[in-house]
Amino acid sequence: MSIMDQNGGSVIAMVGKECVAIASDLRMGNQALGISSNFQRIFPVTDRIFLGMPGLATDVTTLHERLRFRLNMYTIKEEREIAPETFAHLVSSTLYEHRFGPYFIEPVMAGISKTPTGKYKPFIAATDLIGCLNFAKDFVVAGTASSKLYGVAEGLWEPDLEPEDLFETISQTLMNAVDRDAFSGWGCIVHVITKDKVITRTLKGRMD
Amino acid sequence: MQSFVDRYSTTSAVSQLRKVQRLAEEDDEYSDATWGSGAGFGNIMKGSPAFTVPNVPDPTSFLRLHTDDRADPSCRIKIQHGTTTLAFRFQGGVIVAVDSRATAGSYIASGTVKKVIEINPYLLGTMAGGAADCQYWETYLGMHCRLHELRNRERISVSAASKYLSNLVYSYKGMGLSMGTMICGWDKTGPAVFYVDSDGTRLKGDLFSVGSGSTFAYGVLDQGYRWDLTDEEAQELGRRSIYAAGHRDAFSGNTCNLYHVKEDGWKFIGNYDISQMHYEGPGNVPGAPGGGYGYDQRVVGRSSANPPEVVAAAAA
Amino acid sequence: MQYSFIEPPWRPRKGYLIMAADTTAARSIVKMKVDEDKIKTLSPHLLMAYSGEPGKSLSLKDPRDTVQFAEYVERNIRLYQIRNLYPLRPAAAASWIRRALADSIRSRKPYVVNLLLGGYDTATHEPHLYWVDYLGTMTEVPFAAHGYGAYFALSLLDRYHNPEATLEEGLETLKRCLDEVSKRLVVSPSKYKVKIVDKDGVREIEL
Repeated sequence: MSIMDQNGGSVIAMVGKECVAIASDLRMGNQALGISSNFQRIFPVTDRIFLGMPGLATDVTTLHERLRFRLNMYTIKEEREIAPETFAHLVSSTLYEHRFGPYFIEPVMAGISKTPTGKYKPFIAATDLIGCLNFAKDFVVAGTASSKLYGVAEGLWEPDLEPEDLFETISQTLMNAVDRDAFSGWGCIVHVITKDKVITRTLKGRMD
Repeated sequence: MQSFVDRYSTTSAVSQLRKVQRLAEEDDEYSDATWGSGAGFGNIMKGSPAFTVPNVPDPTSFLRLHTDDRADPSCRIKIQHGTTTLAFRFQGGVIVAVDSRATAGSYIASGTVKKVIEINPYLLGTMAGGAADCQYWETYLGMHCRLHELRNRERISVSAASKYLSNLVYSYKGMGLSMGTMICGWDKTGPAVFYVDSDGTRLKGDLFSVGSGSTFAYGVLDQGYRWDLTDEEAQELGRRSIYAAGHRDAFSGNTCNLYHVKEDGWKFIGNYDISQMHYEGPGNVPGAPGGGYGYDQRVVGRSSANPPEVVAAAAA
Repeated sequence: MQYSFIEPPWRPRKGYLIMAADTTAARSIVKMKVDEDKIKTLSPHLLMAYSGEPGKSLSLKDPRDTVQFAEYVERNIRLYQIRNLYPLRPAAAASWIRRALADSIRSRKPYVVNLLLGGYDTATHEPHLYWVDYLGTMTEVPFAAHGYGAYFALSLLDRYHNPEATLEEGLETLKRCLDEVSKRLVVSPSKYKVKIVDKDGVREIEL
């Protein structure tokens, strides 16, 4: 039993047309025993950036607290909102600081960045548990259902999806993948980030 | 020392298997596949069935080394573990309820497994542990129950059938067979449930649950169980208990298969989706309370807060 | 074994929380003590039940480990109250305790302590319950249990727990859980301590 499977849980992020989506399940278990069906592992970072943290639940809370602190320090010092790319590097270096005793988290980030020309560019990234960054152009997955998520996402994702279509795609991908994973499920939550709003919906997933 | 004794003794399970294997090798020309008279069970003609045993000094520990994934998760052969099955006896017969999930590691390999084996119209067997072990040996048991009927002009008792199975698996003890099963049925003595497992345990009882989710099922089952349950109440209790296990246990779930054994044999009551039971309940079936079984569904709108009268009045 | 769940007594609405823990202190196969109190009162409206991790090796189940941590928490929560003249609210206390465990798990000698934290928030008039394990995993739940008893009690509470039950009904549900554990668990405890926290503070009752 890997320590990454102790609590279960999965996260996925996808790119759309001038929008991104990030979604996760809501289960927190103690190995096979389900404890909570309302465990949030996706957190808002800014109005346009979300961070999802599948892995060991204790580190989800600890890392969330640490990153919140570091982000607040950044915002105070720089007097501006952090850019998604910068935030990804902040996450990466925070994880690498614990290279020899890592946090058992594989973060997934989704956000929208503003280009110098005033356009909006969708951004997604993921890292491994010691901070190796992976900037993808289509989708990123992590967690106990990651292998299943890859398969479904590979089949359903297509470029330039509008927010509502992206919502449907990411929801179907996540729901169908976690239904094949014993340690994920118990409901899902989806956030679709567009340039002027965030749409958050909880899904009625299988409860077994 | 043990392996030394095993090699030269003539009574150990291993040496007997070797003997059978030698015999089987000798009449290779009349292989079962050629004539196929027994549909794969052809060797029933020769008495005890024969299996190929790994050709190593100590096959028992060899098999354990490669199939025991609790001791070594990276072992090559993974045996299906997660399950919830239950059976109980009551005034109106026997209720048998099982889930339908099969897992290989964390992967849900199937959600539509039939974990109740219909041995004959009066006997049911449940399946927990090794899926193949249960399926093979309970089907094999079914053949012997039929032979018993032909020889003795009466149906085999549940007790005798379960004893037959128990003796059978006991002769393979230590070879890695893995099964926890309940043999349920109706005979001259009335409804009967026997628990049989691959360690050789055989227990007669009123109420059993087997598998990784059994503790969750027991919780609901014990609290709701009475001998004088009506048929509807008993079926509902079986369903509700499997739901409880499917909900809490990661390795149980998908659907619930429900059977009811009465004097005239078993009857399949239905297949119920566990997630649907969580949100909407089992549907329009007798005995169901109406509404979902899920905790959040059941207590929706209720709160344990205790605001003082003034605050409550202001809010209203 | 500890159980705990939130239920309000006396209709209409009255928030309360019931917490129960067995009273045996065992060392190897010997019961060293049969009336040990494993529920600490951290502040006037806050209870903490603590136990070791079942299935871990015996040295890790060392009762000194759990008591040591519980007393450390007790003193620090008390210190906060002395310094600030008001106690921590349940959510804040839970968060501090969780962090103490999360830091401990990555230390040279971690505490192996599982906790249930239950309190009555006098500001919002709501009872709160937190499930915390020795890794520092924390989640808020309507009912919870640690130990082998959890495997029997949780499905039962899914079925019978009612947030608006009276105290009598709540205790009835607790009894169901304890009865089930004594019926099915091989090494079931014989005695439990039961404590209640509500707007009037903490009190112990006999079942």
